[in-house]
Amino acid sequence: MDESPTSPPASEQLRALIVDDEAPARERLRRLLEEIGDVAIVGEATNGMEALDRCAALDPDVVLLDVRMPGMDGIEAARHLATLEEPPAVIFTTAYDEYALAAFEMEAVGYLLKPVRREKLARAVRHAARLAGPQLARLAEQSQLGRRRTQICARLGDQLRLVPLEDVLYFNAGQKYVTMRHRGGRELIDESLRALEQEFAPDFIRIHRNSLVARRYVQAVERNPEGHLLVRLTGCEEALQVSRRYAAEALRQIRTGH
Amino acid sequence: MNTPASAPENGRGDERDFFLPDFCEARAVLAIVLIAALLGFVLALARQSTPDGFWFDLARTTAFLLWAGLLCAAVLCRARPWLAGKPLRPGIAWSLALMVGTIAVLSEVVYLLGRVWAARLGTPSSILPDSHWRFVLPNILIAAVVSTLALRYFYVAQQWRRSVELEAQARIHALQARIRPHFLFNSMNTIAALTRSNPARAEAAIEDLADLFRVSLNDARAQITLEEEIEIARTYQRIEQLRLGDRLQVRWDVGDLPQRSVVPSLLLQPLLENAIRHGIEPLPQGGIVDVRGRLDDDTIVLEVTNPKPTRAQASPRRGNRMALENIRQRMELAFSGRGSIEVDDAEGRYTVRLRFPRIGDGAAAAIPA
Repeated sequence: MDESPTSPPASEQLRALIVDDEAPARERLRRLLEEIGDVAIVGEATNGMEALDRCAALDPDVVLLDVRMPGMDGIEAARHLATLEEPPAVIFTTAYDEYALAAFEMEAVGYLLKPVRREKLARAVRHAARLAGPQLARLAEQSQLGRRRTQICARLGDQLRLVPLEDVLYFNAGQKYVTMRHRGGRELIDESLRALEQEFAPDFIRIHRNSLVARRYVQAVERNPEGHLLVRLTGCEEALQVSRRYAAEALRQIRTGH
Repeated sequence: MNTPASAPENGRGDERDFFLPDFCEARAVLAIVLIAALLGFVLALARQSTPDGFWFDLARTTAFLLWAGLLCAAVLCRARPWLAGKPLRPGIAWSLALMVGTIAVLSEVVYLLGRVWAARLGTPSSILPDSHWRFVLPNILIAAVVSTLALRYFYVAQQWRRSVELEAQARIHALQARIRPHFLFNSMNTIAALTRSNPARAEAAIEDLADLFRVSLNDARAQITLEEEIEIARTYQRIEQLRLGDRLQVRWDVGDLPQRSVVPSLLLQPLLENAIRHGIEPLPQGGIVDVRGRLDDDTIVLEVTNPKPTRAQASPRRGNRMALENIRQRMELAFSGRGSIEVDDAEGRYTVRLRFPRIGDGAAAAIPA
């Protein structure tokens, strides 16, 4: 969206990013922040994906993030933001979401109810805190929003690289990181295979202690001359080994579809 | 009850809730006559007298019971407003006392009649009682027992009627179409933003919101014309338009519908609301909702179609099924089984189709209550 028309912010000013899919809601937050004073609005975004782009480009101190947005909702966006090296502080905004509100209270996460009051906004911006990944994962679980991410995020320096879940072929756990193989290449991500398995079942199937494959890309299951079961994935040159321990369950899931 | 105007109204309000039925009604009188006849028959049978004696007993007992029943009804009918004003227990006690008293007086009168008869003709009448206490005392006892049973029956029947009524009210209350809190607060937020940037629009939005609220606060059984219902849906669309901007497009094709036909209020609006919530909001680029209406003989067909987001786009919003079930039940109430709702869940498009009869559109067809 457009950059703030105000003069370059002084160093002590907080740099804020407004994220909401509704134009009147953005307009109102912008006006209130301008009235508060010591906050510089560095930009606006209309959904979660755009918010991640803007954050990478503009490096705001604080993000006002609407909970319900099309494409990628606020909670998922916050989960991706939390993987940044220097993540911005996040304040959620919502008109009404019973589950999300309960979750915010439980996790002591800053939120504002729309229509937002100026005093509350001023206080929230001043006290805004960074959110940790596990905290956001719990938040997603409780609020029933962003529980299942639509994107997987890999960090390259201080940039985020988002890969749509439907492009992921498999996850493979190495010594320290998990490798994510997708249609456009491979990335290292800082997540546990177990958490990924839980989040994305039944679309991903555990075939080995260290690998999780996307069911939609499973092309064939075959036996190699040594007698090992291998899974072939569409668009993927290498075949992945199925361990004896997971074989029966994995085959059942591949066959029945759930 | 300070003002005289409120007095009769309060009185009547109490009476309607009172457990004793209104004995002035023709149906109640007929019931009393029938019960008296049957009771007389049972009592005559119980005497086990000779065949001739049976007819005699039947005539005598039934005549007495008819008089007793009708007199009690007349007394209770007159005393009902007074009894209804009393608390429950004293009310029951007084009703019992009135019935037993009435029968005691009647018995006494019948006995005196027998005495007069005997004095005039010199011989005691065979049909009238001759022994004072053997006639009056059992009658009072029977009256007490039967009255107690009758009062108990009236009380239980009234309780049952009341619980059925309450249940029906609760059902109708649950069916009341409601404004979703999410919509309310989002609209408030939109208006808060517009008050400075575009006061005229903010004013219009408040007027629209007020209209919507007025309709949703109406009785769930309220009936309005199709034209009014379409206007409500358009009002709703105007408010959502402010919020969603270009993302929301609605194509209306309802010109051919009989505008004066009567429908339950909030029949179309919830369908549009669902289409926007589940079909447009999850799409970053938005989409088009189609509202189409046509007349099929004397059946009105109303269709709302929205784009169907993919599973990845759709957020876990519940409530669509509930809204449809609510509309189905209200159509059931309004059209007594002559309305239907069907869902066409096709690839990429989601359509809800309502069919219901054209009613009250100049034609003389009555609106089912």
